[in-house]
Amino acid sequence: MKTDTSKRALRPKELWREIIMIAIGKREFISMFKSVKSIIIIAILLLTSYYSAKFSGLLASGIALTEKEMADIHTVGLLILLFIFGQLFVMGLSHDSINKESHERTMRFLVTRTSRLQILLGKFAGAWLFWFTCLVISFLVIAIFALKFDFFIFSQVMALLTFQIALTILLSVAIPKPSATMFLGIVIGLLFPALGAWLVFTDNPWFSWLKFASPYYYLMEDTYQFLIIFGLAGLLLAAAALIFNRRDF
Amino acid sequence: MKAIETKLLNKTYGSTSVVSGINLVVEEGEIFGFLGRNGAGKSTFINMLTGITRPTSGSFTILGVEGPDERMKKHIGVMPDYSTLFNSMNAMKHLKFLSSLSGKPVSTAECRQVLNQVGLENAGNKKVGKFSFGMKKKLGIAQAIIHDPNLIFLDEPTSGLDAESALHIHKLIGSLKERGKTVFMTSHNLDEVEKICTTIAIMKDGGIVKSGTMDELRSYYRSAITVELKHGPVPAGESHNLYTWLETAGSELRKETGSTSITVGSEKRIAEIIRAFTRCQVDIFRVEVNEPSLEEMFLAE
Repeated sequence: MKTDTSKRALRPKELWREIIMIAIGKREFISMFKSVKSIIIIAILLLTSYYSAKFSGLLASGIALTEKEMADIHTVGLLILLFIFGQLFVMGLSHDSINKESHERTMRFLVTRTSRLQILLGKFAGAWLFWFTCLVISFLVIAIFALKFDFFIFSQVMALLTFQIALTILLSVAIPKPSATMFLGIVIGLLFPALGAWLVFTDNPWFSWLKFASPYYYLMEDTYQFLIIFGLAGLLLAAAALIFNRRDF
Repeated sequence: MKAIETKLLNKTYGSTSVVSGINLVVEEGEIFGFLGRNGAGKSTFINMLTGITRPTSGSFTILGVEGPDERMKKHIGVMPDYSTLFNSMNAMKHLKFLSSLSGKPVSTAECRQVLNQVGLENAGNKKVGKFSFGMKKKLGIAQAIIHDPNLIFLDEPTSGLDAESALHIHKLIGSLKERGKTVFMTSHNLDEVEKICTTIAIMKDGGIVKSGTMDELRSYYRSAITVELKHGPVPAGESHNLYTWLETAGSELRKETGSTSITVGSEKRIAEIIRAFTRCQVDIFRVEVNEPSLEEMFLAE
């Protein structure tokens, strides 16, 4: 019997399978849609999108807004919701995406079949696709009233969510107990926007430099500097991969 | 080719050494039995070879690839100990999901074939969460072989199974060997290991105390062959000489009317004992030679 374990060029289909662990991502994506928590969050997102877009005229008439702010008025409700509660929502759904598998020992089936990096990327991809889908639907609801799909704002929000998903994955890798990440997830979810906003605006020389680590800093202006947030998310994922590689199951 | 080769493989947790300096070779096509008491380090050893845990030091190769290496994972199948399965999936989806993780997606027909092999032919569409312990065990074996690996690790494959199911699994393991696969299994069922394994290693306190084929292990433990003779009356004049000699020929001599038993160190001694009885004009009706079973060897360690 011969076992071909030598390295050879991968076919495109194999290469795709090697780059993104589709099976894990698909399972994560589908399981996220099945939970009660996700249904509640999707309902909140859609209702906020619908009513904030529908009654945006009322909001616009009550306060003085610039021309740009007037143009984006339909998305305000959704943006406020995600800026304040986005981290809490992401943590609520994905705080145990990795450590639950370790805790229930199903991780043993995964690590004996594929690389740990692919497991991590698969989990990340599944959660990312879930939020991408939710956001696309929310923006489509808004587009009914705004008569446009604002790709720039969509990308900014997606960048923020990408950071938040990566942070959640890091937490799930670093802390082995799902019950601990549930508690910490709530704490971090509530503190994250307050701390992020404070870091952006504080003059305290000891802490103000930390604003560069906060995704909110890169969302202050309508420029493409929000792309840096994807880099920050990459750093969080790299840290998660480093810890995950050293774990015993 | 060697299916498994380990060199000074170690695993420590803090100051506790769980596996210490194991050197082991498993040839391809063998059914290798790994024996040891609870806490001996068997599962930790398997976990290191399969990527579940990382060795503290030492090296190993799996199917010629130095580990830990992701390339080997496509060629190994693992049934870990104490693992829960994905309870929300049915058996068919479970197998399809795990085979796709191995990079070898399988069809529904292939899933059915493997489920048949492990005796779960009617459970394909049943949720794993509703499986009995025995059914989960069988599905654990099915997922280990679904992607047709060359080397299969089975941690206690038949523990908790009824006799009929265990026999079914023994036949399956035998058929894997016939197909040229290597099986590395741990078990507490010593009869099972003795029956189906070609090579055996006994582990104690994190190290391997003895390994080899059944015959090699028996010859190592030959000091414990017990000979029991059923015989006629010993003439009064010969009795003293015969039993004095027997005391020097072996140990644990037991004399009863019409029966003598003695423990000897080699097969050669058996012939000498029979000759001694014959010389003393004692009729021998029956000779029973009790070689040590695997259980006795195991307990001796």
